[in-house]
Amino acid sequence: MVMAGSGTGGARSARRARFVPIWALVLGALVVALIGTFPYYAGDSSYLLLLLGKFLCFAIFALSIDLIWGFTGILSLGQAVYFGIGAYFVALSLKINYALEHPTRYGNKFPDFMEWNGLKELPGFMTPLISTPLAVLCAVAIPTFLAFIFGVITFKRHIYGVYCAVITLAESLILQEFIIEYQAYTGGFNGITDYSNYVGAPFLWFILAVTVAFFLIARALTHSRIGTVLKAIRDNDVRAEFMGYNVANYRIFVFCVSAFMSAAAGALYAAWVGIVSFLDAGPVFSVEGVIWTAVGGRATLIGPFLGAFLVRGLEFLLSSSWLANYWQFFMGILFIAVVLWIPDGLVGTLGGWLRKRRRGTLEQIREEQDLLARDRQRDWEPAGAPKAGEETV
Amino acid sequence: MALLDVQGLTTVVSGYTILNNLSFSIDENELRVLLGPNGAGKTTLISMVTGQFKPTSGKIFFNGEDITGRSPDEIFIAGISRKFQVPNMYETLSVYDNILISLQSARKVFKYMFKRVTPEDNERIWEILDFMELARKANEPADTLSHGERQWLELAMLVASNPKLLLLDEPTTGMTEEGKRRTAALIQRIAQNHTVLLVEHDMHVVRQIARKVTVMHQGQVLAEGALDEVVENEMVKAVYLGKGGQH
Repeated sequence: MVMAGSGTGGARSARRARFVPIWALVLGALVVALIGTFPYYAGDSSYLLLLLGKFLCFAIFALSIDLIWGFTGILSLGQAVYFGIGAYFVALSLKINYALEHPTRYGNKFPDFMEWNGLKELPGFMTPLISTPLAVLCAVAIPTFLAFIFGVITFKRHIYGVYCAVITLAESLILQEFIIEYQAYTGGFNGITDYSNYVGAPFLWFILAVTVAFFLIARALTHSRIGTVLKAIRDNDVRAEFMGYNVANYRIFVFCVSAFMSAAAGALYAAWVGIVSFLDAGPVFSVEGVIWTAVGGRATLIGPFLGAFLVRGLEFLLSSSWLANYWQFFMGILFIAVVLWIPDGLVGTLGGWLRKRRRGTLEQIREEQDLLARDRQRDWEPAGAPKAGEETV
Repeated sequence: MALLDVQGLTTVVSGYTILNNLSFSIDENELRVLLGPNGAGKTTLISMVTGQFKPTSGKIFFNGEDITGRSPDEIFIAGISRKFQVPNMYETLSVYDNILISLQSARKVFKYMFKRVTPEDNERIWEILDFMELARKANEPADTLSHGERQWLELAMLVASNPKLLLLDEPTTGMTEEGKRRTAALIQRIAQNHTVLLVEHDMHVVRQIARKVTVMHQGQVLAEGALDEVVENEMVKAVYLGKGGQH
């Protein structure tokens, strides 16, 4: 994992982690194997299986928040907008197709919630959604495009930080109200339900594959030079701008990538769970995603996964006890505790602790001493500085 | 032809005239020191040239090109790097990475995306780290550096970006006498290959490196010339060194 520079004058390079360190490869393979074989020991129709797929979608969602918040410093409290739009496209398409084969009580071949709201037929603008592949394409492309528009409007005008957080929060409130208001097209309060979803081993593997792919994309993005620039923008956007980086463009880029992942997670979620509601696009879900990321550890890639599974898992365990009513309450306490005591999250804190320990290893000390000795051997003055005789003072 | 040519620059901020019809120029490969009492407009001038603020009127030419009103990143691409008064770097990145992303290269998102660190890049980074005596800290996060080292790191970042013109805004602020002396030596070394405009208060540093100085007062150029001539100038004595001040 360590490619330490040697003090003997050979080729030196920076100490940098591998693209996928050995321990991560082993651990990752183990986790993937564990999740992949879950349908075999849990049964195809188990509730836990449904939960597992759901959690994977949430993990992708948290990962998308981590990319913009943890790595680039953009706090979005409305990332569920993209998740929600992705989910609604897929759910609508599946519902329309379901209605074609399962006519409503009055024999109409279009979604029942539209019928209840007085529509006589499928609205014209929704007919393209009969094609599921097209719907999936829209589910990821349209949110990405919206994220691009949002980025151009805000980042290009140097709006970020708290203002950006407030705007994104407002965005998700607007979308939520929109969904409730236009219930003839969106199902309103009830959401969209009763369509054939894809719960089962094959689709779980598909979700798992997408998760792994996104994880690797995120790793490639954050591990490369462009990732270094993103972190630099997070640390000091003014310096980056005066170093020739068009900060707005980098922000727009990463925001689009994040929206794409978020939307894909939503699309998978809709197809897996079989019910989509306004809550999946609302501010509460957005903030939940931020909490998962904070608990797991922002600016780490394992953090969001761990956070989503841990917090959601805890919620599941507690919801079967009398504590269920107080869950939101606990969530608040958890968030405050994390911010106060482990601001780097679980993974970040653990990583920091390990790094501190590693610094003390024998090899490290030897390397340090080598470099020190070499520095001492060289002229004390920086190269090219005037020697003692030619002082100009 | 002058490398940087500022013509009739005027800046009015909420009724106050910060720069008043200021004109001055720097030739290529010059090391110019900008002096002036607090509030003379030195930092404002740098902010104007680097595009942080837009002037009320006047033009800024760089390399014969009109750069007035361009954004900071465009002006950087044109070849002007700026050192801030307070050390300004990427705190959580390692010293090595701080230099890495300052290297001269394409800056557009999609051009940058698939860029790798070539052996030449690596070589150059270590060269700069050695030059700035930061090699031992290469893998440390920048926020573990001492104040002096931070100032040097930012200088190193500017050197890495290989600009045509460096604007250094009080790079010795907060340093010990020893640190100032060494920094002055470094700046002299940098000035061998670059054009440098240095804003400095400390007269020891100024005396160590100055060839030609420009004195600003109330947003205008008061005097310009060799240091010894300028300090003898009666007007300069009056506003900068205090009337009748011995020096």
